[in-house]
Amino acid sequence: MIANTKEVKDKDFSIKRSAEEIRNLSFKDHVCIGCGICESTCPVSAITLDDIGAIVRTDSPNSKLSVNEDKCVLCGMCSGVCPADALIFSIDSQPISKINSYPKYDAYAEIDDEKCIYCQKCEIACPREAITIARSLPDRSKLVTGEIDINEEICVYCGICEEMCPADAIDVNRTPEAESISVNMDKCVYCLVCKKSCPVTAIKAACRICSYGDYDINMEDAVTKGSSFIDDELCIKCGWCEGVCPTDAAKVKKPFEGTLTIHQDKCTVCGTCVDVCPCDVLSFSKPSKSGEIVSNVAKDDQYCIRCGACAKACPVEAIEVKITNVDYTPTKSKSWIGKFEALKN
Amino acid sequence: MELKVNQDNCLGCGVCVVACPVNVSISPEVSGGHGSINEDVIMMVENGFIKLFNEDKCEKCGTCQMFCPVDAIWLE
Repeated sequence: MIANTKEVKDKDFSIKRSAEEIRNLSFKDHVCIGCGICESTCPVSAITLDDIGAIVRTDSPNSKLSVNEDKCVLCGMCSGVCPADALIFSIDSQPISKINSYPKYDAYAEIDDEKCIYCQKCEIACPREAITIARSLPDRSKLVTGEIDINEEICVYCGICEEMCPADAIDVNRTPEAESISVNMDKCVYCLVCKKSCPVTAIKAACRICSYGDYDINMEDAVTKGSSFIDDELCIKCGWCEGVCPTDAAKVKKPFEGTLTIHQDKCTVCGTCVDVCPCDVLSFSKPSKSGEIVSNVAKDDQYCIRCGACAKACPVEAIEVKITNVDYTPTKSKSWIGKFEALKN
Repeated sequence: MELKVNQDNCLGCGVCVVACPVNVSISPEVSGGHGSINEDVIMMVENGFIKLFNEDKCEKCGTCQMFCPVDAIWLE
């Protein structure tokens, strides 16, 4: 007899059936956004979404989802409709997202390295910490040019220049009989603070940047180099990176189009939606001046993916999320088309 | 998950009563810090301790647990 076996590890699980082909459904709790799309899509009602509000806001040991392995028929539909890729269904170790006959969302997030200036704004804005921008800065010494000379016959080794130097480039040894002074040319930025503060005028220095120094600098040495990385496992294509990118290097395509409506009259400002939203779309409204009356919850609509997690978690039904269009790759299967189309409401 | 209370921990401060979004929608005056005018709300402070009246109405958002200063109310 063929049976489904379930393996549970911490909050994650994996359900497997071994017959002619090996079918496996695995769940990653830390990736799950609690939208419940899998629960409403499952044709055999094997999936139960737990109380997401309580799970996200308290240190609950519960997993966000549970699947009854005796009901699960390992069809893979939950994995196909999961907008976060928290449920991964594979056939003979091949995830269905890589099998062409299975439909998947037409959604992506990418950063064009040609345009990226490695400002890291996207890394800071990403609500899921999915982006890493690694950068190597140019040598500071190659960006400044000038001359500095200390006349040790005049210098009294008072140490004032050492204390004043903003770049920590001067080293003064003030031990009697062993006195010395040195300037680290790699650190010096020729700001001339030492020259101006020297009480005995022992320092001669000139900054060449202003007059003709720009020509001394090889512009190739002034470039910040780097690389960008988006963790596909965590990225939910919310569009924050695209929204904050100053050079149009980040491009995001969302899987759904739709609307998010907050009924301010029903809202009791408990903050569940703010904590549940995976895209940092919802926040408590802040008055711009004192005494101003603001709405209960504000939305940053351009970053909403219409997943509906907030509406599901709201205890007083003050939020409505509608999906009007779903973008998915073509398939011949009517039942799969039906499930994707059923997401619209 | 189920809503649980521990009266031994409870200080009777009533923060959970006024923070609970379901309570507020059932009996709006509690959001202003007043007591509920009826017993339709999920929980109330009675004789100085928290008491559940209608735990079946709980939507399990975790707000009461977040605000309780002494771990006297939680979801389990």
